[in-house]
Amino acid sequence: MDARVPLRLLWRDWKGGELSLLVAALIIAVSTVSAIAIFVDRLQQALVVESSAFLAADRVVRGSRPISAEWEQAALDLGLDTARTLTFSSMLFGPERSQLVSVKAVSSGYPLRGSLQIADAPFTAGRDTHDLPGPGEVWLDGRLLPALDVDLGDRVEVGNAIFDVSRILTREPDRGGSFFDLGPRVLMPYADVEATGVIQPGSRLSYALLLRGSESALESWRDQIGNDLNPHFEWVDIRTGSDAIGRALARGESFLLLGGLLAVILSGVAVALAAHRYSQRQHDPVAVLKTLGMTPSEIQHTYLSSLLLLGAFATSVGLLAGWGVQSIGLIALSDLVPVVLPAPGLRPFLVGGITGFICLLAFALPPLLRLRGVSPLRVIRRDLAPNDASMAFAYLSGLAGSLILLVWYADSLQLAGWLILGTFGTVVVLLGVAYLLLRTGRILGMQAGSSWRIALAALQRRRRENSVQIVVFGIAIMLLLILYLLRTALLEEWRGQMPEDAPNHFVLNIAPDEVAPLTAMLDEHATGADTFYPMMRGRIVAVNGSPTVDSESDQRSRVGSERNLSWTWQLPPGNRIVAGQWWLEGETEPQVSLDADFAESVGLGVGDHLVFDIVDRQVEARVASLRSVDWDSMRPNFFILATPAMMEDLPATWLTSFRLEAAEKQFLTSLLRRFPTLSVIEIDEVMAQVQRIVERVTLAVEVVLILVLLAGALVLIASIQSSMDERFREFGLLRALGAGQRRILGALVIEFAALGLFAGILASVGAEVTVWILQEQIFQLPGRLHPGLWIGGPVLGVLLIGSIGTISTYKVVRTPPAIVLRETG
Amino acid sequence: MASGLEKTVRTAAGPLQILAGVDIEIKRGESVALVGASGSGKTTLLGLLAGLDEPTSGSIHLDGHEITAMDEEARARMRGRLVGFVFQNFQLLASLDALENVMLPMELRGDADAAAKARELLERVGLGSRLDHQPRQLSGGEQQRVAIARAFAAEPQVLFADEPTGNLDRATGERIADLLFDLNREFGTTLVLVTHDPTLARRCDRFLEIDGGRLLQESPAKALVGGA
Repeated sequence: MDARVPLRLLWRDWKGGELSLLVAALIIAVSTVSAIAIFVDRLQQALVVESSAFLAADRVVRGSRPISAEWEQAALDLGLDTARTLTFSSMLFGPERSQLVSVKAVSSGYPLRGSLQIADAPFTAGRDTHDLPGPGEVWLDGRLLPALDVDLGDRVEVGNAIFDVSRILTREPDRGGSFFDLGPRVLMPYADVEATGVIQPGSRLSYALLLRGSESALESWRDQIGNDLNPHFEWVDIRTGSDAIGRALARGESFLLLGGLLAVILSGVAVALAAHRYSQRQHDPVAVLKTLGMTPSEIQHTYLSSLLLLGAFATSVGLLAGWGVQSIGLIALSDLVPVVLPAPGLRPFLVGGITGFICLLAFALPPLLRLRGVSPLRVIRRDLAPNDASMAFAYLSGLAGSLILLVWYADSLQLAGWLILGTFGTVVVLLGVAYLLLRTGRILGMQAGSSWRIALAALQRRRRENSVQIVVFGIAIMLLLILYLLRTALLEEWRGQMPEDAPNHFVLNIAPDEVAPLTAMLDEHATGADTFYPMMRGRIVAVNGSPTVDSESDQRSRVGSERNLSWTWQLPPGNRIVAGQWWLEGETEPQVSLDADFAESVGLGVGDHLVFDIVDRQVEARVASLRSVDWDSMRPNFFILATPAMMEDLPATWLTSFRLEAAEKQFLTSLLRRFPTLSVIEIDEVMAQVQRIVERVTLAVEVVLILVLLAGALVLIASIQSSMDERFREFGLLRALGAGQRRILGALVIEFAALGLFAGILASVGAEVTVWILQEQIFQLPGRLHPGLWIGGPVLGVLLIGSIGTISTYKVVRTPPAIVLRETG
Repeated sequence: MASGLEKTVRTAAGPLQILAGVDIEIKRGESVALVGASGSGKTTLLGLLAGLDEPTSGSIHLDGHEITAMDEEARARMRGRLVGFVFQNFQLLASLDALENVMLPMELRGDADAAAKARELLERVGLGSRLDHQPRQLSGGEQQRVAIARAFAAEPQVLFADEPTGNLDRATGERIADLLFDLNREFGTTLVLVTHDPTLARRCDRFLEIDGGRLLQESPAKALVGGA
């Protein structure tokens, strides 16, 4: 055989339009997947940058001991950027007054991510800066100026050293990590720490090494140093650094991943359907080619090379289109969410390309390989079809392809597993139910008018094909519903986390006699300051009789760290008892309730006896319950809650939160002038940052939804097209026998609407079950039912399948029957 | 040459014998009509003789080669070298135009001047002005003429024709038959055709009548008077 023959045949099929559906399916498969991959990649880069600002680095190593110079050198050797910080509490002395502050000493390069903001006057809007305090200089938190009654240029003392107040610090990126790193901030140069003389044995110091660089370098650094980190150092990334952001990110990523997965499955189905149809239509030509002397292996070679060529073409076009689609998506949404994203890396293109070829090999190749087995005798006996063994191979290969793609994308066996299980279970159940529904249709059809009779007879006649088609439609609609429901649940969850009136300032260190005047002042200028929580610092010194401090090394274990305690009769909102029991009001036995995660991490459980050291007094208590705490809520929460009776005589301070709009920030100056010992923590910046991240993830979720919708529509079209030849022939015949255009059109509409109805019903059931499982298992959201779905799903099915089906087959109504019959043979 | 040909197929109702012990010898350059009622087995016989199908037992020799001992790969190569086909329903490739359809067998063989030869053949069958027409743009008679041009394009030694005029009206059918026999003579091809049409059968050198899978009689075609 002339080597150019396959090319010529391919080119002629292309000209003849035989390949358009297959190529379109491949292009859409590649472009959807690569658009999602490109988009997710760009978004993730943006999110990483945005979120890393919360750490002021990509990773942080934190601990109570100095960080060795070797570690830093190892990081530098790997090409990472580094900076050091040291945080400690100290008294800051002004000329007249003093204040307990949280000092942060930073080395050059800080912050590695995000930026510092400074202002010229307290509580005014800040501007970004790349500077740091020079030698002998400090930058003060705005509220320290009224509290200490100092101004820019004045001198303050930290320990033994004297500093000039050179700037007002309005924001540091990594302030949000810990809401209870108390005290107003003082920023000073790392090199000046020694002069202050504050580093003494027993002082509470927090050392940190900040790292910035490529993921691979960060990981290899961790591999090198990892074993030395424990138990004194903590490795922090954005997920461990901030609960609220970590979870928003994790859920957002899960969703995008799921969207990508669904797009892959839908595209795979579309490719398989299109390839199946192309293969069916090639049976006659192949039989002719065989009579003309083409051998089975030449047939195989021809279709294989054609497919590879097509694959290369469709993949290239698909990648370009994918880039285009995500750009257009971004432009279309830019009014809603103004986001500038970094350029994509190479990986998403690779993902798109590989997906294209896996789709091709797993979904498109098997039906084409069947062509090898087409009997040349078909030229005289039309009814001969390739044997069914090759069909089983086609299904198996499609399945294997889906599995490979799913596991590869999900990178999480759990997600892929649930999805495969869900899809499989649905297919099996749906096939059975679809068959039953079609039988019911026949009984109903007995009493119906003529269009109905034709339509229902058609549904009946192709019962097997229609069952399969209902399942394909059903799955496509189901996947779309799943994605839509999850998106809605996620957005609601995010909105719920940050209500419009959420408190954005915390006030701590309120003396008992200040509560009343402070309440009055807050009521006048701010909102939401309705609850005051008592608070005290204390540490656990013994667990079930064993001290938590090692007497020899004087090392305190984690359980013995100093923590905030509060006490209350009522279980605070957002807290849920997961073990033991919450105490009754008036309980006299000293009891505590612990955050369940905290308890687990330090090995405490219900029934343990603890001894607390609170303001130099030893207090005993029993662990009565463990709570799961919603740390995402912007409410004050505590690891340790105690019965009020146990804390009765201890000197407490109080804590509250309130909401202050940006324009009202000047209020803080008068607040602190009147109550100079208060500590105010501004988390409005943190919240704005979380909001920005959530907006980006939301944007991604919307774009992915649209892309998957496109892939779903393609499946519907491909599926209808694949049954088109048969329908064409039948309706052509009916028209030849005298059925009018109107009647045929009626029958088409009814047939597709019925298919859509059945598919919609099945899709609603499948979506309800799968969403429930996904919410509970993957997204950690409470599962719930969606009554709207029970009507919406079937209606969607009828409208979607009814209209796409009718539009695609409308040609059969318009074309004269003679031509229809001649073309379809 | 075929001897002891049997063909049995499995059906839901049990084995069904389509051909039972058929022996035939057809000489080079001869034209033979296979006639018989619908379901008599004549099309099955044609499929076997042309190497499109395998018999349950028996042997077939084509140009000295035993095709019943070959696998499908070898049979396909043999078909490409020795055999041409004309079918009742034309079997042109819908996505190719007339010229491309005729070029196809030559391209498969690797002929360098396939296009020129195809053009010449289409001129010869009277379609020189419709080279770039798709099959669906041609009438039935025109499609069959393209099919005949394609069949002779490979310069086959044997031409198998299955009801070549079965889908055409009488006048068109006659013109197609004229063309077929003219070219047959011109190329010196052996012709085996299956037909219901006594007029067409009579134009062959002899005819073989088949009934219930058996060869009934073998007689000179001239003897076929008044219909089979």
